[in-house]
Amino acid sequence: MTGLPILEISGLHKSYGAVRAVDDVSLHVNRGEICGLIGPNGSGKSTFFDCASGLTRPHAGTVKLDGQDITGWSLNRIAREGRMLRSFQKTVVFGALDVEENLVIAGQMFTFPGLWSTFGIGAMARARVEALRERAREFIKIAGLWDVRHQPAGKLSGGQQKLIQFASMLMPEPKLILLDEPMAGINPKLIERVVESIRFANTKFGVSFLVIEHNIDVVTDICERIVVLDQGRKLAEGTPDEIVRNQAVREAYLGG
Amino acid sequence: MLSAILEQIVNGIVSGSVYAIVAVGMTMIFGVLRAINFAHGEYYMLGTFGAWFAIEYFDLPYPVAIAIGVIATAVIAVVVGKFVMQRIVGAPPETGVLATLGIALVLQNTVILVFGGGYKFFSGGYIEPVSIFGFTLAEQRVLIIIVCILVFVGLELMVTYSRMGKAMRAVSQNIECCAVVGIDVPQVALRTFILGACLAALSGVLTAPVNVSVYGGMGEIITFKTLPVIIMGGLGNVRGTFFAAMILGIAESLVATYVGLQFRDTVGFATLLLVLMWRPHGLFSAQARF
Amino acid sequence: MSPNDLSLSAPRRDLRLLFGVALAAAACLAPLFLGTYALHAIIIALIFLLPAHGLNLLVGYTGLLSLAQAAFFGIGAYTSGLMAVHFGTPFYLNFLAAGLLAGAVALPLGIPALRLRATSFVMCTLGFVVIGQAIAKNWIGLTRGDMGLSGIPKPYFALGPASFTISGTTSFYYMVLVIAVIGTLAAYLIVRSAAGRNMVAIRENETLAESVGIPTWRYKLVVFMISAAFAGLGGSIYAHYLTVVSPLTFQMYYSTTMLIIVLGGGAGTISGVVFGSLLFVGLSEALRVAPEVRMIAYGLSLLALVFWFPKGFAPLIDRFWLFLGERK
Repeated sequence: MTGLPILEISGLHKSYGAVRAVDDVSLHVNRGEICGLIGPNGSGKSTFFDCASGLTRPHAGTVKLDGQDITGWSLNRIAREGRMLRSFQKTVVFGALDVEENLVIAGQMFTFPGLWSTFGIGAMARARVEALRERAREFIKIAGLWDVRHQPAGKLSGGQQKLIQFASMLMPEPKLILLDEPMAGINPKLIERVVESIRFANTKFGVSFLVIEHNIDVVTDICERIVVLDQGRKLAEGTPDEIVRNQAVREAYLGG
Repeated sequence: MLSAILEQIVNGIVSGSVYAIVAVGMTMIFGVLRAINFAHGEYYMLGTFGAWFAIEYFDLPYPVAIAIGVIATAVIAVVVGKFVMQRIVGAPPETGVLATLGIALVLQNTVILVFGGGYKFFSGGYIEPVSIFGFTLAEQRVLIIIVCILVFVGLELMVTYSRMGKAMRAVSQNIECCAVVGIDVPQVALRTFILGACLAALSGVLTAPVNVSVYGGMGEIITFKTLPVIIMGGLGNVRGTFFAAMILGIAESLVATYVGLQFRDTVGFATLLLVLMWRPHGLFSAQARF
Repeated sequence: MSPNDLSLSAPRRDLRLLFGVALAAAACLAPLFLGTYALHAIIIALIFLLPAHGLNLLVGYTGLLSLAQAAFFGIGAYTSGLMAVHFGTPFYLNFLAAGLLAGAVALPLGIPALRLRATSFVMCTLGFVVIGQAIAKNWIGLTRGDMGLSGIPKPYFALGPASFTISGTTSFYYMVLVIAVIGTLAAYLIVRSAAGRNMVAIRENETLAESVGIPTWRYKLVVFMISAAFAGLGGSIYAHYLTVVSPLTFQMYYSTTMLIIVLGGGAGTISGVVFGSLLFVGLSEALRVAPEVRMIAYGLSLLALVFWFPKGFAPLIDRFWLFLGERK
């Protein structure tokens, strides 16, 4: 955990009318770290993610990914060039396409050099897609989706779709993944599975994580550092132990 | 020179009134059904044909013919509303576009098939000229303006005070909550649609004495002129639509006189395209419902 | 061994190849057993096939409803007609120019239009058709206004010293057939490419597509231009077939017809569009019914498609294809 942080955000501001959803928030994620972002509902966590990932433009502040200033970049550019991906709270997949196609698409823009190359029909294009298919099949096997891999993703269960979503984010060999409430709506028995997947991606592929999560047990278990937001502002920052014992955090969120 | 321009503006207000009555129906239908009614002009045509038929074949006086035209359209609107328009509520926008396109094709071509494609002559109406504020206008044109004002005042009252009007506002603002609160959404949708279609028919009947020629394809042009009006007025925005309609009427009149008659019918869409390119959200707020 | 085992070991013949060959043979031999009028119907169907493929890429694959096909169809028709009349250029030049110009015009039109929400976008595309007709009517110096261009020469090809002219209906049929096959192949290749997959992703969930790195807005613009080019190419053939071009080429009717082909045949499938074109256009031409009856049928078809058959004939075509592949 040395060198530049993989993600460095300073002074982020985002208001909706009179409401300051994100008010001068700065945080960083170290290379190879799993960092948690917690706080009560309405504290600005999702808005923060939206600004960082390029879904919305912040009114002020800078976002630096691996040393590069990506402030104002669009969602697709941050994903494609920055290799920072994000999940969505409501699990979404490409419903009409099968599992393998979902994963292949997730990887396409990272192997093809540009928009026009995706129209290619030659051997090079075919080879690229074939490589993506192989990689997709690997993930499908690991996720235990082999038997349903040709089914339309829209017909699978919520848990299976979550796995597809997670695998999609690993297809492009990302540097950093923003996870938006990965445990939401998950059967308690599967929570361990998701935790394992995150750890697996972190240790085997070196992916850094910033995780929004309400399940405190999970957060304290997997995160090395936690940042707490409250009403759009950063309330505290530290190791799980420090956070759990922090008086202000307990009052605002953990319930004393 | 000034009086010539003023005269054109007055003409523009007349056509603007026509457009306004048609457009307000279309915009209310959009507000409640979230669908662009591509067949809206056909109801204008149907009203006109109904009145023409009453006068041609039954020799009925014009006021009766107005009623017949509107009632005939209302009957057709009930059928179309029950079988098609109600199903559009809650569907994706493409559904409304395609379904109303289909209805337009059926209505327009059925009329041509039954009555023939030629131009018919509309006799009837108050075409005697009358002098108002120094302008000489056919009585019918004055009638159009008066009816337009009455329609909008009436709608304003209805929407603010009547139960139906409040239900319409509710549905246009938040359709999911309506069912929970006990508003019969399909019924509101049906009634709004019938109201809109009848307004279009009324406009058609009132304008027929001025345009004189009646033909099956006349609805399409009306649809094409009303679309820009409702978009620029703000979809679902009754007051905005009124102003947009007036602006279009006056602009058309001035262009016809000073630029060239052949460009008159293009003003609407040309303006719409310019507005959409420059202000993708329309001239007036689409948020202001009715 | 029981008698049942014999049936299991019997060879399974794949009838699909046979079907394909039969279809190709029928297409090649059609002029021999079809009357002139029926042949004319198929030619019209094949002319409409190209714009329909373009629209399919836009609507069926990328999920963008557009009514603008008639506008680009008209641009292609006028381009090709004007070049033939004023410069006497060979057909393939007019053809290519039509496609290129239509595609090029789509760029400055598409950039602002694609910023709009779905409903406004549809309106905007309709506006292109209306304005296109107005320009065709009023730019008399170029288009001769309402009189239109007439006497467009029959398509001719010049290869070095040799040249030949397409003069009869039969030869025109073969020319259009070749173009239609190439066009269908092109559409198929686009759809099977990585870009085609990205288009479907955009249709399924645009934000999700963005989040995996797909530049959705640029794709929409590119597909809009390709779709326009296809429409322009169709317009070019149309101009040479009718030998007349008028402002009436810029009519909603063409956009609506192409929509019915795409939706009726099965949006999002290539075979569906081919089938849809032959069915809706070919059949309605061949039946020689009054134009009003045809339009009523179109209208009813649209209603049926929207409410009961959202996938058009595609599911039936799929089942038929599976059926052919499974029989022994």
